[in-house]
Amino acid sequence: MNAIECDNLSRSFGRVPAVRELTLAIPEGRFFALLGPNGAGKTTLLKLLLNLLRPTGGTSRILGHESSRLTASEFRRIGYVADGQDLPEWMTVAQLMEFCRPLYPTWDGALATRLQAMFDLPGDRPIKKLSRGMRMKAALLSSLSYRPDLMVLDEPFGGLDPLVRDEFIQGLLELPGDDRPRTFIVSSHDIDEVERLADDVGFLAGGRLLVHESADSLRGRFRTVEVVGSAIAPPAGRPAGWLEVKQPSGNVIQLVHGAFSPAAQSELTALFPGSTVSVHAMTLSEIFLVLARGHRDSAGKEAA
Amino acid sequence: MLPFTVNFRPGEPVYEQVTYAVKKAIATGQLAAGSRFPAVRTLSQELRINPNTAHKVVTSLTAEGVLLVHPGIGTVVAPPTAGSAADRAALLNDELERLVVEARRLGLDEDKVLAAVRGHWRKLKGIQ
Repeated sequence: MNAIECDNLSRSFGRVPAVRELTLAIPEGRFFALLGPNGAGKTTLLKLLLNLLRPTGGTSRILGHESSRLTASEFRRIGYVADGQDLPEWMTVAQLMEFCRPLYPTWDGALATRLQAMFDLPGDRPIKKLSRGMRMKAALLSSLSYRPDLMVLDEPFGGLDPLVRDEFIQGLLELPGDDRPRTFIVSSHDIDEVERLADDVGFLAGGRLLVHESADSLRGRFRTVEVVGSAIAPPAGRPAGWLEVKQPSGNVIQLVHGAFSPAAQSELTALFPGSTVSVHAMTLSEIFLVLARGHRDSAGKEAA
Repeated sequence: MLPFTVNFRPGEPVYEQVTYAVKKAIATGQLAAGSRFPAVRTLSQELRINPNTAHKVVTSLTAEGVLLVHPGIGTVVAPPTAGSAADRAALLNDELERLVVEARRLGLDEDKVLAAVRGHWRKLKGIQ
């Protein structure tokens, strides 16, 4: 079953489109990283899924229910943590937990106690007096404690120091591992934050989903390539998968290969006999930059 | 605490890095045959990796015969095997070819590479 499905989902603000005809399916049990530069439409998409915003076109379904018809019983199975989200400022963490507990039949008191200790959260201080990191941990604590089937996190790591970020991730990983599949959708503009967690990566830019594939497949097909030889030149027609081709001198060609494979390796060797071809793996964050630059350049051409 | 360590490097599949770390820990004797191997959940939480990835690590190491699953007891490190003929052929072909290609590219000569291989061989034996 899919935890999330979007069909031609669109939303504009006035005449400005934020999400454009987006179609997407996320199977349950996956950890999906929603990546994209600022203003790409990530927050709008997540709000559309949760019915916090109405679409101007298309539909979405979440845990098998139409987003526009979500009721309290579905919201009890969904956790939502967003940067800067509203919390009852006057409550202490202990009061917040007491307030939430009766609302959720699946509330796990033992997990709540364990997480609160792990997060090192003071129970007796009002939320308004907590630091940014503490507030995010309080929001995560109140969501994880009812063991939701789906966690939606919007830029959860922004401004968190590395120690707090690590505690936050450790908290998230408390959720899976029992008999129910748990699905995570996490938006971020910084892939390094989720590199070790993501099964799948979606890359959003200009309201469109440009890429949706597994993190391992992305790492598998992207390579930087450097060719060093004497008086070499790139072939006239650009071979499939070649991106960002540069020639800093007559003896060096550099490029990013977006469709690397053993066949692509042989093609490179055949194109440049007698030259040295070195090939290096790329991090997801390097791949993300290539995709973002590619989108910016093609969007620029479209506008011109 | 896990009985082995992983020094994560960006750009390489997480799953490959963890399986390699386990095999290295076995080669050095840090993980002894018969000792208990951590559960998927523990692996995921201690290494801060996706539980699906942790599951894939255990499944593939079990399929390779590096780990043994005893129902009701848990997963343990398998005793060393001689390795199948196919495994040995694969090592000699793929891994060594890659080493030789890289070494030639960097301008190393045969003696230096052989000496380095011997050095590593002794290092792992020494730890054990």
